[in-house]
Amino acid sequence: MKFPVSYYAEWTPYFGLLIAWIIGIGFGFFLERGGFGNARKLAAQFYFKDFAVLKVMFTAIVVAGLGFWGLVLLGLLDLSATYINLTFLGAQVIGGLILGVGFVIGGYCPGTSCVAVSTGKLDALVYLAGILFGIFVYSEFAPILDKLHNSGSMGEVYVWQWLHVSPGVAMILAVLMAVGAFTAATIVERKKKSIVQP
Amino acid sequence: MEKTKAQPYWQPYYAGLGLGLVLLLSYMLLGQGLGGSGAFARLLYSIMHSVAPGHVEGNPYMAKYFADGANPLNNALVFLVIGVFTGGLISGLLAGRVRKTVEKGPNISVKGRFIFAFAGGTLMGFAARLARGCTSGQALSGGATLALGSWAFMFAVFAGGFAAAWFVRRQWL
Amino acid sequence: MTEVTSFRNNPLIDPHLEIWEWQIPGYLFLGGLVAGLMILNGVWRLFYSDKEGRSITRNGAVAAPVLLSLGMFLLFLDLSYKIHVFRFYTTFNPASPMSWGSWILLLVYPVQILTLALPGGIERFGWRFSFLNPLWDKIKIYAERYNVAVSTSNIVLGIGLGIYTGILLAVNAARPLWNVSLLGPLFLVSGLSAASAWNLLARPNDAEKKLLVRWDIGLLGIELIFLMLIIIELSTGPIGKQAAAGLFLGGNYTASFWVFIVGLGILLPLWLEIREAIGRYVPHWLGPLLVLGGGLALRIVFVYAGQISSMPEITLFR
Repeated sequence: MKFPVSYYAEWTPYFGLLIAWIIGIGFGFFLERGGFGNARKLAAQFYFKDFAVLKVMFTAIVVAGLGFWGLVLLGLLDLSATYINLTFLGAQVIGGLILGVGFVIGGYCPGTSCVAVSTGKLDALVYLAGILFGIFVYSEFAPILDKLHNSGSMGEVYVWQWLHVSPGVAMILAVLMAVGAFTAATIVERKKKSIVQP
Repeated sequence: MEKTKAQPYWQPYYAGLGLGLVLLLSYMLLGQGLGGSGAFARLLYSIMHSVAPGHVEGNPYMAKYFADGANPLNNALVFLVIGVFTGGLISGLLAGRVRKTVEKGPNISVKGRFIFAFAGGTLMGFAARLARGCTSGQALSGGATLALGSWAFMFAVFAGGFAAAWFVRRQWL
Repeated sequence: MTEVTSFRNNPLIDPHLEIWEWQIPGYLFLGGLVAGLMILNGVWRLFYSDKEGRSITRNGAVAAPVLLSLGMFLLFLDLSYKIHVFRFYTTFNPASPMSWGSWILLLVYPVQILTLALPGGIERFGWRFSFLNPLWDKIKIYAERYNVAVSTSNIVLGIGLGIYTGILLAVNAARPLWNVSLLGPLFLVSGLSAASAWNLLARPNDAEKKLLVRWDIGLLGIELIFLMLIIIELSTGPIGKQAAAGLFLGGNYTASFWVFIVGLGILLPLWLEIREAIGRYVPHWLGPLLVLGGGLALRIVFVYAGQISSMPEITLFR
């Protein structure tokens, strides 16, 4: 079997939508399991109290990354039929900074706020209204912000290309970084005994 | 109906493993990653388009979603987010964690929390559009595929969060 | 290119189909919901008369006529020649479900007035309408005397109305998706589950709640079976029907069918209500709301998808 299946098995776009819904169920399920439907848990990250955000995110990145690049290296997954985030360094750094500020103020990110709404968090509902307003503001001013939006455009470029190593080495580095970060985070958490629970 | 006691959250590594496998599955089946903010943009644009079609089509940034009579809601990201709501509900109900609450620290009023939530949401919506994705679309998906810009984005998010945390500590601590 | 000629492909010569928009699915949904409310009310009055009804009887008496009138208004909006509406009643064609439908609707209203006069409906008119009270008292005596007949007519007319909302589509032989034997029963069952959901949202008492949740579980299960049987009937049928099944199996309506009708409209509320029935916590309004949404989605998807499903083209002129 060759991946992505949608490309090789020639799925209709409408069948893809159905699969996307099922994948979304899995996404929402595990976000909620990890406690990402709780703004206190998410925000605790930024006060060095509960590093669930870091741990969940990096575990997911490492697991998916190993699988993804493993399939690519085995020739089973066709990179050209896969959507890879393009690099616009300026837009992504500035956007990332603003998003980080918004994260600690609002307490959620867009995906986690959906899970929070599903589990009855009223602040997440207000947050979602804010998201829509923010998108509205950006979209209205998008023609003016076009230059910033496209700043630092580098196309489809990978971390391993930038480091001049092979994808496998870059993945190993990512794993080592994750393990290091987890260890440090766990030491801090143990000292503070501050894991947030419902 | 008795409300059972809420179960504790999973160990982050288990949740991360599950999330990673879902993300991998998404690339294997659909050839694209996950995303959170795209669906809301598409929802907003389709509402705006039904109210003021001329205005939306006059703005090239929004008009591209309607090119050739396309419906922006016929998109994998939209159905993915419907699934996120569904999956979150299923998990929350199974663990007894569904209840009407406002998540906040003890030193802020509910109204104050709502103001912060709206302001934070606004910044997030704006920034997610600017950076072409949010924590799921950029950091998680781009992180796994080792896209350079997404890693820069991820570090910028943590930097922004830690930098601003001290100023809004009253909300959480 | 299709040439416009003097004898074909000309809207004045070939029949020209108007596209049905949101009014028709809205009308079919409300019709099914009213049918369900009437049946539930009749069943409750006949078989559970020892228990006091609150939601079922009140909605069966008061909400049903209001919702039916709203549905009729939607149908009226859809008519191109609104002034010709009376012509439905100048003829009776036993082979036409349209004709049956208009006559069923004509019988439904008097029965609903009698239902309204039963206990649980309207006791007295106040304020400006108090002049109606002497007449109303007479109707009330009459309705209570024929209590059983009124309840039975609610059930019989409800079943007729519910099936008619499906048969209305099913008789279109030129639309393979609609032309399936189970469409009438499917719309009836869907109407019944929508009515249970409506009653569950309208603050039922404990006895009603217990019963409604159990009924709804059964009805949603039957609805699911009917839907799957329809898919099987279509995909094993002649080529036109196979193409119609394809609309839900990869075609344009795949996601709307499986996500909004089956997933969010049947499976999720089924799970929620089973949880409720075994005493686990669920937000009590969520399941019923999803059922109502699923019922509406069912009509919207079938009406829109049916209109693009057509018989394989037969070339008459070469």
